[in-house]
Amino acid sequence: MMTPRERFRAVIHFKKPDVLPWLESFYEETIVEWFGEGLPAKQVTVIDWAMGRHGTMLGNWPSLMGFDPYSYFGCQSFYGCMLPIDIGPIPRFKQRIVGETDRYLELLTETGAVARRLNKSEYGWYSMPMFLEFPVKDRESWREYKKRLEPRDQRRYPKDWDRDSYIRTFEEYQRGPTLLRFNGFYGFGAELMGIPAFNLMFYKDPELIHEMAEHWKYFTIETLRDAVETLGKWIDMVYLWEDMAEKHGPCISPRLYKEFFLPQYKEVNGFLKKNKIDRIMMDSDGNINLLLDSIIEAGITGVWPLEVNCSMSAMEIRKKYGDKLFLIGNLDKRELAKGGAEMRREVDSKIPMLKQTGGYIPGSDHLIHAEFKLKAFREYVNHIKELLNY
Amino acid sequence: MNIDLTNQIAVAISELKSSEVVKKLVNDCISKGIPVEKIVENGVRRGLEAVGKKYEMNEYFLSELLYATSLADAALGILKPHIKLSQKDTGGKIVLGTVRGDIHDIGKNIFKMLAEVAGFEVYDMGVDVSSEAFVQKIRETDADILGLSALLTTTIPEMRNVIERLRTAGIRDKVKVLLGGNAVTKEFATEIGADYAALDVVEGIDTCRKWFGK
Repeated sequence: MMTPRERFRAVIHFKKPDVLPWLESFYEETIVEWFGEGLPAKQVTVIDWAMGRHGTMLGNWPSLMGFDPYSYFGCQSFYGCMLPIDIGPIPRFKQRIVGETDRYLELLTETGAVARRLNKSEYGWYSMPMFLEFPVKDRESWREYKKRLEPRDQRRYPKDWDRDSYIRTFEEYQRGPTLLRFNGFYGFGAELMGIPAFNLMFYKDPELIHEMAEHWKYFTIETLRDAVETLGKWIDMVYLWEDMAEKHGPCISPRLYKEFFLPQYKEVNGFLKKNKIDRIMMDSDGNINLLLDSIIEAGITGVWPLEVNCSMSAMEIRKKYGDKLFLIGNLDKRELAKGGAEMRREVDSKIPMLKQTGGYIPGSDHLIHAEFKLKAFREYVNHIKELLNY
Repeated sequence: MNIDLTNQIAVAISELKSSEVVKKLVNDCISKGIPVEKIVENGVRRGLEAVGKKYEMNEYFLSELLYATSLADAALGILKPHIKLSQKDTGGKIVLGTVRGDIHDIGKNIFKMLAEVAGFEVYDMGVDVSSEAFVQKIRETDADILGLSALLTTTIPEMRNVIERLRTAGIRDKVKVLLGGNAVTKEFATEIGADYAALDVVEGIDTCRKWFGK
């Protein structure tokens, strides 16, 4: 029987796993809703293979993590084990409340943005804040921010960072996949400037975009160098957050992507591949079809979540690109949430065919949202497990 | 000659020239005494229409759309003191907002910019707007169109509540309801009794134009 890591690696390398994993992510409020719908409140799960979560630690013993939907439902997550390297701004901005009403809470985040969220547990109460201000507005504010992105700052590595002991830990305890997660070049800029301002800047001040991309390339490579050169062979996948598309299509044209990001990506991905990390996944919502040629050229080898309502089709991508991209997701969250025949039709129309082609991990085409009722989700879980022979 | 000059504005916007180029052309038009309405119609709006078409054809993307809108905005900034558009000229009033429970406004704000440049009078109610507030604003402004936005799957059900509220208030037939936002689909619009769901901002503007025969 394969370990979760072997299973995950097999799929993303287009090899045959003993059983196909399936992967989900959950909004926190979904889980809270589900407790109200009968999820056992006393359920506390021992994660028997994870070595830490969210990139904040690398423990070497099983952890009690409260309720863990991934173990509970039996699905793979993106959070199994992240390398504990801090690639955020150092020093952090001091998080504080900058405004509060009966309805809203406005926070200065650790990355320097001002985020507004609803103060009440009414709808999307903490998963999806609205950003009101961003730390980078122009060249001057960028150069100020850049001072916090210094790769040689010793605080970026854990206090107990010791190559030999980390290697031993991986050799002895690694059972789940290990991921290295950081923002891609678009995601990096959009997070610092906000989507409208960042997109405008490609025309208003293209040199600033070049400067930011150049620094992000230098910063990621140099910050991660020690970890990647030490642990490369244990890192199964790089997870790049981009979110660079809307429903209609990419936020930037393939031409802009090639001009501003392609050379940088080639260097970063070349560095990763040189260190035995050859699976690089891009996380982008929206319709990225027109960028697929470019991202493949950039060295990216997988995509998630492939939103159906944004015209993404795993089958079409597979037909066009073969094994150049492993694919995760693409089960229409709206159909899955309906349950019953609609859910089964969605699952049955995709998984068997994509399983045949290999390189596909089934899952919802975005995080499981709070409108997805627990009863319908359990039905989906049962159906998918039956289909995958769990 | 004058037509050529206003046409140059349209070309400058659609070819994404610098704001300095656009501003100079607008000032040239004004100094030559070209009526402001013609500069707006033949220059700015036509330029943005061309950009919209390129966007629909996947020749332009969000960055180009935003930049072209900023060029149009720069042009209108110069023209505004000269514009005396009557309500009739605007072609319609739009009450716009993100529904209650949703605080996201990027798409809504882009739509607002384009709608204003297209000549609509837009009453932007912001985010997290209650159905009652929409009804009040429609009554107050006698709006022709209600634009509802929602990003989240969890908040689009609120659009149904707004339409229900319009019905109970007896004004559903007086306004066209246009839906927009990532979670919205055309099927959903039909299901809840909206008039249309626009899958992107350009489609939304085109729809408003069609409703007013523009």
